[in-house]
Amino acid sequence: MPALEWQVGTVTAIHPETPKTKSLFVALPAWTGHRPGQHIDLRLTAPDGYQTQRSYSIASPPELAKQLELTVDLIPDGEVSPYLHDVVMQGDQLELRGPVGGYFVWDVTVGGPLLLVGGGSGVVPLMAMLRHRAAQHSTIPARLLYSARTPDDVIYRDELDQLARAGGGLEVLFTFTRQAPAGWTGYRRRIDAAMMNEVVKPLANGARTYVCGPTLLVESVANLLVGMGLPAERVHTERFGPTGS
Amino acid sequence: MDLETADMNTALMVDGNAIAGELEQIFGHDMTMAVARCAGCASDSKMATLMAFVRGPGVVLRCPSCQSVIARIVETPTATYLDARGMVYLRMAQTS
Repeated sequence: MPALEWQVGTVTAIHPETPKTKSLFVALPAWTGHRPGQHIDLRLTAPDGYQTQRSYSIASPPELAKQLELTVDLIPDGEVSPYLHDVVMQGDQLELRGPVGGYFVWDVTVGGPLLLVGGGSGVVPLMAMLRHRAAQHSTIPARLLYSARTPDDVIYRDELDQLARAGGGLEVLFTFTRQAPAGWTGYRRRIDAAMMNEVVKPLANGARTYVCGPTLLVESVANLLVGMGLPAERVHTERFGPTGS
Repeated sequence: MDLETADMNTALMVDGNAIAGELEQIFGHDMTMAVARCAGCASDSKMATLMAFVRGPGVVLRCPSCQSVIARIVETPTATYLDARGMVYLRMAQTS
C-alpha cells in the first residue's frame, strides 16, 4: 500500500489576492493529481529540527497538472501562515503531502445541481470545484453563496465575475457582513434562514451541497440546510476553525 | 450544536477532514469516508464529519450527535497511539 509521502515542491509564483490572502503556486514534479475539494498537509521544519504542519485546501483544478495553487489566509499570530506570507519567495522549496480527503470532493461525475456556500477563505476548495467545472465546460447548474466581511476581503473576485458572466449556468451571490460596496443592493448580513431559502430555491431540493468556512458559519448553514429538508448525506461540510482575526 | 452557547472550544473545533492526512498515515488509505459507530449513542458518522479538536498535544475526535469521545490520536517522536475505545466499529468500503 503506497504510504502518503512528503514531497518537495518549488514556489513558482506568488499572487496577492486580498490584503490578508496570498496564492502560492507550487510546482510538484511527482504530483499524481487530485480531486476538487481535496487539501494538502504542509510541513515546516526549523533549523533546530522543530516541525509543525497545517492543512491547506487546493485552489487549483486537477486540470492544472504538476502544479498546485494554495491560497493562504494570514493568521496574524499564527505559526505557519505568517511564514508563508512574509518569508517565502519565488524559488523557495516547500514540503507537503497529499492529496488528502475524499469526503469534501466534487467533480462533474458527481453531478448536480451544485450549491456551494463559502465563508472567508472557505471559498478556496469551492474555487477548485468551479475551476474544474469550467475547465470541463460543464453546464451543471451551480450557485455560489460567498460570505465576506467587506468587498476587499473577496478572494478571486475578478475570476468569479468572469465565470459567472460566461453564462454556463453558474450564479455567484455575495453577502457582506461588515461593509458592502456603495450602492450595493445584494445581501449585507450573516447567512440566515431567509437568505438560504432564496439561494436554494432555484435549485432542485436534491442539490449537492458543499459548505466550507469558519466553524460557526458551517455549523449554522448546515443546520439551516438540513432544517430546510435537504438530505443530510448531500450536505458536505468542512470546518476551518476560528476566523482569521 | 447550540450556537447560542458556542464557546471558544467550539470556534476552535474543526472536523475529520482536517486530520485526513494523519488518518491516511495510520491506515494507509483515505479514511474520511469510513463510518464510525459511536459507542455512546450508536449513531454512524463518516470520519470527515466527526468533531475534531486538534489544538492540544494530540487529536480528540468526538461524535457529532452526542459529543462522546470516539477516538484520540497522539504522536510521539517514536510512535503513534490510537485510542479508539469510543467506537463500536469502523466500517470501510472495500477498495478494488
